[in-house]
Amino acid sequence: MFDRKLAASAALLGIASLITSCGPRLAEVVNNGEVLPDRSAATIADARANGELERARLTEERLQAGTAALASCTPQVCEAIARGEVTIGMSFGQVLAATRTTADAWESRTSGGFTVLTVRPGSRAPDDAVGELAYVSLESGAVANYTYREPQGFRSVSDPADATLAGRAEARAAALLQQGDEYAAAGRLDLALDRYDRADVIRPGDSETTLRIAAALDKQLRPIEAILRYQLFIHQMELEKIEARGVVAANIAEAIARARERVIILEQQ
Amino acid sequence: MKRKRIAVSILVLIAVVAVGLGGCARNVTRIAPEQAIDLSGRWNDVDSRMVAEAMIEQSFGSSWATEHMRSSGGSPPAVLVGSVRNRSMEHIPVNTFVRDLERAYVNSGQVRVVAGGAERDELRDERVDQQEFASAATRNQLGMEHGAAYMLTGEIQSIEDEEGRRRVVYYQVDLSLVDLETNSRVWVGQHKIKKYIEDPRLRI
Repeated sequence: MFDRKLAASAALLGIASLITSCGPRLAEVVNNGEVLPDRSAATIADARANGELERARLTEERLQAGTAALASCTPQVCEAIARGEVTIGMSFGQVLAATRTTADAWESRTSGGFTVLTVRPGSRAPDDAVGELAYVSLESGAVANYTYREPQGFRSVSDPADATLAGRAEARAAALLQQGDEYAAAGRLDLALDRYDRADVIRPGDSETTLRIAAALDKQLRPIEAILRYQLFIHQMELEKIEARGVVAANIAEAIARARERVIILEQQ
Repeated sequence: MKRKRIAVSILVLIAVVAVGLGGCARNVTRIAPEQAIDLSGRWNDVDSRMVAEAMIEQSFGSSWATEHMRSSGGSPPAVLVGSVRNRSMEHIPVNTFVRDLERAYVNSGQVRVVAGGAERDELRDERVDQQEFASAATRNQLGMEHGAAYMLTGEIQSIEDEEGRRRVVYYQVDLSLVDLETNSRVWVGQHKIKKYIEDPRLRI
C-alpha cells in the first residue's frame, strides 16, 4: 500500500518536472526594478573630445593653406579663391583654398609632371561654388583642367571660357541634346522632347535644338506644334551665314529644305 | 446582549468602510527615471532608452561624421531628421529616442541638426513675418538656411509569438543616414529587443 503511494508520487513528480523543463530557460538582460546608469553621456563626451581635436586640426590646416594661397596669387586667381571657384592655373594649395578643403579631402596621384586629384573613396566629393568636382589635373604644379560631376554627366573645363556661365550652359545643353538623341533612338519620344525642351531653356534660340524639337513633335503626331517649330527653325537660320560655311552649310541647307517640305506636308494634311 | 451585538456590528462596519476607503486611495511614489520597471510588457521608457543608447553608440562608433569633416575642410555634417515609421502592432512614440539621438549629435559638436517638417515650416513663417514687422537691425535674412547633407530615417518593426499565458515580443529598430544628394546610406544602426512575457495563472 505504502509502496504504491510512493510510486504514484514519484511518477507525478517526474511528470511535473518534465512539464516545467519544457519551458524556455530565460537569461534576463535587465531585471525589473534595476537602476540603469546613463551610458550615453560618456559616449557623447568621447565623441565631442575626439571631434574637437579633428576639427581643430582640419581648420588649422585649411587656414594655413588659405593664407599661403592668398599670399602668392595673381589677381585673377585671388578673385576666384574669394568666389570659391577653381580656375585654370591655380596651384594645389590654391585649389584647397578655393574649395575650402584640406589635403585629407583628395587623393593625389602623380606621374611625370602630371598630378591628378580625385575624390577620396567613400567620402563626399569636394565642391567649389560652381559644382561638385570629380577630379582636377595639374601640369607642372598648375591646374591644367578640371571636371565637374553634373546631372547630365561629367563636364570638363580646360579653357577659361568653359568656366563662364555661357560655357557651362553650352556644355549642359550639348549633354541634354545627346541624352535626347539617345531617347529618340530608343523610341522614347516623350523623354527625348523633355531633354530637348530643357536644352532649349538653358541655351535659347539654338537652331539645332529647335529642329530636334520640331522633329520629335512631328513624330509624335503633333502637327500644329511641329509646324511652329519648323517655321521657327527656318527663321533662326540666316542664309547669308550658311553660304559662308562651306560643307557644313550644305547640311544645314538640306535641313532647312527638309523643314520647309515638312511644313508644306503638315499644312496640307 | 442585543445592544452589545449592535455595537460590535457597527464597529465591524466602520472598520470595513475604513479599510475600503483606504484601499481606494492612489499611492504615488516618485522614482528615478533610470529605474527599469516593466508592468505590461509593452514598449516602454526602458526600451526607448536602450534604443537611444545603442544608436548613439553605433552612430559615434562609425566614421561617417569624421569622413564628412575630412572632405569638407572640418565643417561638421548637417543632418535633417526625417520620418521614423512605426510598423509594429502597438503604439510606439518614436520621438523619445529620436530626440535623444538629436541631443547627442548637437551636444557632441560633431553633427549639426537642422529643423525639418512642421518645425521648419513654423520657422519659415516666422522669418517671413520678420521681413515685414521686425526692424532692419534685428531682421533675419531669407535664403540663409543651412542645407542638410544627410537625412535620418528609420522604422520599428515587431514580431509577436503567443501561446496561452506566454508571449514573446521582438522589436527591431533600424535607423539610417542617407546622403541627400546621392541617396547612398552612410550609416545604418540597428537595435533588437526581445521580451518574454508570462501572465499570472490567476488574476483578480
